[in-house]
Amino acid sequence: MKIAVLGCALAAALFAQQFKFNLDHLAPKASEKVDLSLSADLLHFAANFLDTGDPDEAKVKKLVGGLQGIYVKSFEFKKEGQYTKGDLDQIRNQLKAPEWQRMMGFESSEDRETVEVWVRSENGKMTGLALLATEATSLTVANIVGSIELSSLSELGGHLGIPKLKKK
Amino acid sequence: MDWLDEELKQALARKEPGADFDARVRRKLVRTTPRWLAAAAAVIVIAGGGALYRRHQGEQAKEQVMLAVRLTGAKLNRVQVHVQALGERQ
Repeated sequence: MKIAVLGCALAAALFAQQFKFNLDHLAPKASEKVDLSLSADLLHFAANFLDTGDPDEAKVKKLVGGLQGIYVKSFEFKKEGQYTKGDLDQIRNQLKAPEWQRMMGFESSEDRETVEVWVRSENGKMTGLALLATEATSLTVANIVGSIELSSLSELGGHLGIPKLKKK
Repeated sequence: MDWLDEELKQALARKEPGADFDARVRRKLVRTTPRWLAAAAAVIVIAGGGALYRRHQGEQAKEQVMLAVRLTGAKLNRVQVHVQALGERQ
């Protein structure tokens, strides 16, 4: 019985959010905010309502099939300087090797935009993705938990308002 | 055993119903039927309401999933566009 309880607790811990956002103090300063905590149960429940006849929804249904959670916090501010480097660093500091590897990132000084992507792997299998995106007046952090096919996400190109990537 | 015969005879003797027996039965029938109907209607309304509420929750969950995918997909796409542009330049 104890082993079963421990197993359930371990499974719940594995599928829960993989790092803390600690950004609630930014909410009062934000002009717009999105706070999404979608557990595995909620994702699977929502998947039942995704219409496979709709191309967008069909792709999303395929994508969320292998996920155990999506957690997103996004803030839009009316003026610059509402979040600090410390806010970003406390997130970066949680995304450490060997579990987390920084996969890609870019910084545009022209647009004052940065996007950083980390992947989490266990036993050679991808088990999560972290995303930290900033602009002068916005901040987005996301944690996608589970086996995510980045190709599935890129398949969303041309859908959901995401521009389609050109193929060479 | 005569006393038993007497008792049985009395107990099983035909008795005329009271004058208001018919009216009482009719009143009871009239009262019982709407109660049953009301209960059935309540069950249907509750079940229907539950299904509608569940559908509403499902639609809300779907919208949240679509928003989450839209937000993260757009940001990932920004990186990919940038990486692709770099690749094309080289």
